[in-house]
Amino acid sequence: MKFFLFTLLAFSASLLNAQQFMTRAGQVHFFSETPMENIEAENSQMSGLLDASNGGFAFQVQMRAFHFEKALMEEHFNENYVESEKHPKATFQGSIRDWDAAWNDGEPHDVVATGSFDFHGVKQDRDIAGTLLWNGKAWEIETRFPVALKDHHIEVPAVVKDNIAPVIDVDVKATLAPR
Amino acid sequence: MRLRSTFNLTAALGLVLASLGTGSAQGLLDALSEAVEDPTLPVTATFKDTRIVNVQSNETPAEGVLHFVIAHRFGTLNSGAYELWGLDNAQMRMAFDYGITDRLALGVARNTYQKTYEANIKARLLRQSTGPEAFPVSVTWYSVAMANGLKAPTDINPHYFTHRLSYVNQAVIARKMNEDLSLALVPSFVHRNFVETTADAHDLWLVGVGGRYKLTQRFSINGEYHHYLTQQFEEGFSPSLSLGVDIETGGHVFQLHVTNARGMFERSFLAEPSGSWRDGSVYFGFNLSRVFTVKS
Repeated sequence: MKFFLFTLLAFSASLLNAQQFMTRAGQVHFFSETPMENIEAENSQMSGLLDASNGGFAFQVQMRAFHFEKALMEEHFNENYVESEKHPKATFQGSIRDWDAAWNDGEPHDVVATGSFDFHGVKQDRDIAGTLLWNGKAWEIETRFPVALKDHHIEVPAVVKDNIAPVIDVDVKATLAPR
Repeated sequence: MRLRSTFNLTAALGLVLASLGTGSAQGLLDALSEAVEDPTLPVTATFKDTRIVNVQSNETPAEGVLHFVIAHRFGTLNSGAYELWGLDNAQMRMAFDYGITDRLALGVARNTYQKTYEANIKARLLRQSTGPEAFPVSVTWYSVAMANGLKAPTDINPHYFTHRLSYVNQAVIARKMNEDLSLALVPSFVHRNFVETTADAHDLWLVGVGGRYKLTQRFSINGEYHHYLTQQFEEGFSPSLSLGVDIETGGHVFQLHVTNARGMFERSFLAEPSGSWRDGSVYFGFNLSRVFTVKS
């Protein structure tokens, strides 16, 4: 009896893990375009977790791992804008809407992730559209979504108002493999 | 016996349900934070500029960045209205520092004061970092050779070029205590090939302390003091003490300060500060720096 119960427990746990997909090397790229200056940054250390049993979805990214073309931009980004000492990570937690286990058919599917986006210590409920593809081994996720600096209480001083776009486009690309 | 197995069954089912529960969306972020170790990252922007006031900070220009500094020290504040409290009487330093790598910089400078030329090298030996391989302090090495460019004195014969040279070696041990407060401990060794009198030492050891406190994102108060470890000065001589502010405006950093050292190169402000805080013979001055990304 005991043996049976432990087997059941172990089996259910492994089944659960088998349904979790993960990445530690997701790509995040953002772009601010103004007539004065274009600013972009890359981060290839986004981590993410997808629960394929219900579409539960979470990601996190270290602000200090964003790299810019100019060292001074990187310093200003961390020190003056996102305050990465106070708010080291940006996170998203939610689920992929109307999750369907049959999406693992090798075709790209347009999906919407609904959840809470936490950036600069300010949480916003967001619906983020993207595509989802099962490549036979892993889930590939791709999305582009806008982030309004005002929504996350990021202040841009008047002197550089013309250099920094009020809304930044964020691209995310990740391949989540079985955990 | 029957009771016990029922209990076991309930407990086990509870565990199964609990383990299924961790898969819910609410717990996914926690599960992710647990699974992914925070990376080791260097602490950046301990100081806004490569100097605290006069003394070097632990910062160096990034790779491919040219750091250009124009600095002025005016006359003494106690010189009165006729001299506009020193503003009529400026000394200048112009400096170019270039980041060979993110950890190594080379620089040259020219000072009005004693027409002094400088060549320097600055290297980040250790960097303060956070994460699994955290390190508590940054250690930066600074070496500078200075050459007096004044016309050869006629009363010293023979006068060799080596008489003009002096050297300073320093270690800047800095720590960003938190977002606002950064502190530095700076042991310095000064060597002068030529000294004015036989009472002056050729070699001098000092230990300096410096720091900054950020009042806003782009404004901080700074200060530094250098203590002589080898006594060789007459009584009444003031060690180097400087107080100032940093103002950051985009690509520029303005450092405005009051100091009792008029020379802006290391030998001068460490070993030979010309003024004294006691009688108000201190100098107002500024460093204005601008970075140019030469190679990206």
